[in-house]
Amino acid sequence: MKPSLITDHPFGEAYAKHLGVAPWRGDLPGPKVEEWRFTPLRSLAKIAFAPASEDVDVDAIPRNVPRIPGAVRLVLVNGVYRQDLSGTGLGKGVEVFQGKVAAKQGSSLVALNAAYAPASLALHVTAAAKKVIHIISIGAAGSQPTAFHPRINVTAEPGSAITLVESHVGLPGETYFSNPVATIAVGEGASVRRYVSVDEDSEAFHLATSLVTVAGGGNYEAFHLGLGGALTRQEIRIALTGENANVRLNGAYALRGASHHDFTTVMDHAMPHCTSSQVFKGVVDGESHGVYQGRIHVARLAQKTDARQEHKALFLSRGPAIDCKPELEIYADDVQCAHGAATGEIDENHMFYLESRGIDPETARALLVEGFLADAVNEISVEAVRDQFVADIGNWLKRRGAQ
Amino acid sequence: MALLEIKNLHASVAGKEILKGVTLALEPGEVHAIMGPNGTGKSTLSNVIAGREGYEVTKGQVLLDGEDVLAMAADERARAGIFLAFQYPVEIPGVTTSAFLKTALNAKRRAAGEKEIDAMEFMKLVKKKTEALGMPYDMIKRALNVGFSGGEKKRAEVLQMTMLEPRVAILDETDSGLDIDALRVVSDGVNSLRAPDRAFLVITHYQRLLDYIVPDHVHVLANGRIAASGGKELALELEAEGYAKYLNAAA
Ligand SMILES: Nc1ncnc2c1ncn2[C@@H]1O[C@H](COP(=O)(O)OP(=O)(O)OP(=O)(O)O)[C@@H](O)[C@H]1O
Ligand SMILES: [Mg+2]
Repeated sequence: MKPSLITDHPFGEAYAKHLGVAPWRGDLPGPKVEEWRFTPLRSLAKIAFAPASEDVDVDAIPRNVPRIPGAVRLVLVNGVYRQDLSGTGLGKGVEVFQGKVAAKQGSSLVALNAAYAPASLALHVTAAAKKVIHIISIGAAGSQPTAFHPRINVTAEPGSAITLVESHVGLPGETYFSNPVATIAVGEGASVRRYVSVDEDSEAFHLATSLVTVAGGGNYEAFHLGLGGALTRQEIRIALTGENANVRLNGAYALRGASHHDFTTVMDHAMPHCTSSQVFKGVVDGESHGVYQGRIHVARLAQKTDARQEHKALFLSRGPAIDCKPELEIYADDVQCAHGAATGEIDENHMFYLESRGIDPETARALLVEGFLADAVNEISVEAVRDQFVADIGNWLKRRGAQ
Repeated sequence: MALLEIKNLHASVAGKEILKGVTLALEPGEVHAIMGPNGTGKSTLSNVIAGREGYEVTKGQVLLDGEDVLAMAADERARAGIFLAFQYPVEIPGVTTSAFLKTALNAKRRAAGEKEIDAMEFMKLVKKKTEALGMPYDMIKRALNVGFSGGEKKRAEVLQMTMLEPRVAILDETDSGLDIDALRVVSDGVNSLRAPDRAFLVITHYQRLLDYIVPDHVHVLANGRIAASGGKELALELEAEGYAKYLNAAA
């Protein structure tokens, strides 16, 4: 039997008691829930996760976290904001504070986050922010399996602008489960750029939800990178709620070993004259599993919508699996919508061309993989971030060579 | 010792024998031209020398400075100094020409025990080489060969050759697709590389190229063998008379 809910999970009474808060009464989605069909949570639910213990001591940002030139770093350890590790001098245009987490009901994981998130890291963007904000979420389990629930709330006032970078990383230790929720409200005519990198420990769980609204004339540009973890998912739900809003949502993943990564996107066109485009690219090796589920919903009112999505995956070996499910739900008649999906392998003619110039096969393959991911990564409009993400992918490829 | 020596080379593709005993020796400093009808095995010969998979060598040898080329992987052959300018260069999306050139150049440098080229030095070198070939510098920012016109692709092949400075360069119909001016520019590029310790194997259908790149020897490849060899006047004769006599003789 495939139950639609997993009721037996470690996030009930005992978990709440540790934290001294009211318990979460919900359940985790089971494999019968359509959106979770390809990403089973049973293995997660079986682990005796507890909240992060107080005595886990992190006194520095891990060195492999990239330094984005000119960015201010804000650090969360196990979901808790750490002023002592964070930078200062935010400059004009943005305020940061710790806010309350609204117990608003959403999906299971959003509700779970709301029940246990300590506070939100809230960013209030009032004008064109001078500095890039780099949020670093560190998972540190210590001696027991640890679950934590980072919460980021971004409110960009009308006409404001900001660039955010998010790095999700972990320290070696026991298994951890990061359950981050980010809510991003892009005000009228505001512009938010957000670049997220998930490079968790190979034993880690990471189930992220992004809830984005883009008001009239607003621009949202995002790039999400997934480089590993045992079970990772980046669910991104975007609602275009005003006319002439534009969204560019792109992503890439590179998986090996037994890693699992799931991109689930929902693009909700509620109003006319909006555009959205999505380019997702994946590279899979080992026994890994990549998932892309992309839903585009165009409401009856949303005439003159232009919505596109594309997913392409490259197999580096025969072992991995890919599940790809595009869904178009279109209720308006005067729209342009397109989706495309393809999988392939490295082209032997390309390999030979590079090798015939003296490039060894390993390096040739790395060049081709970077090249394959390039048209997604090149969508990142901030050069320093783009370079960093390219370097992160390069490092991922080097780890492959080292195996 | 010959720089490149091809001895009684037999090779098959998909079970069909294409090369049926090719013998050819390139002495250092020489330019050899190969002409011959379509489908006669000219590209097969160049691919076998460069190390493309899918060709089965059933007999014979290829030696570079006396070393067994056929025992080397394709990338090793290139680092040892073999370069093939392809008849049909492939387009590689996402990989910029500059990243590719730099990687190839550094692979060669590392193999020679030299240090990698730095960014400034690389830029200067590329500027110089692209200018000499009449290519816009910005072209190297584009993905390798993607959307290049036929002639631009051929120029890009020669650019790679002038950057990598091989010991033996095989040009497989590099002249096809070039306009009249480009033919001269590309030939100048090749001639600028002519050196006492380097040899060229120039495959072409047109005698015109050989007015610019003057060969020491001209060979006719017909039915998988060298059917005739001569000086540059052989090319003129072929231009006038065609290949009929060699095809009949070989049949
Ligand atoms: N992969 C293959 N499978 C089957 N036949 C092949 C394959 N590759 C080459 N051939 C055949 O081998 C023969 C020689 O081809 P090759 O490309 O070497 O000719 P060529 O002399 O270079 O011709 P051209 O002047 O037209 O360039 C042709 O008959 C061709 O069809
Ligand atoms: Mg040919």
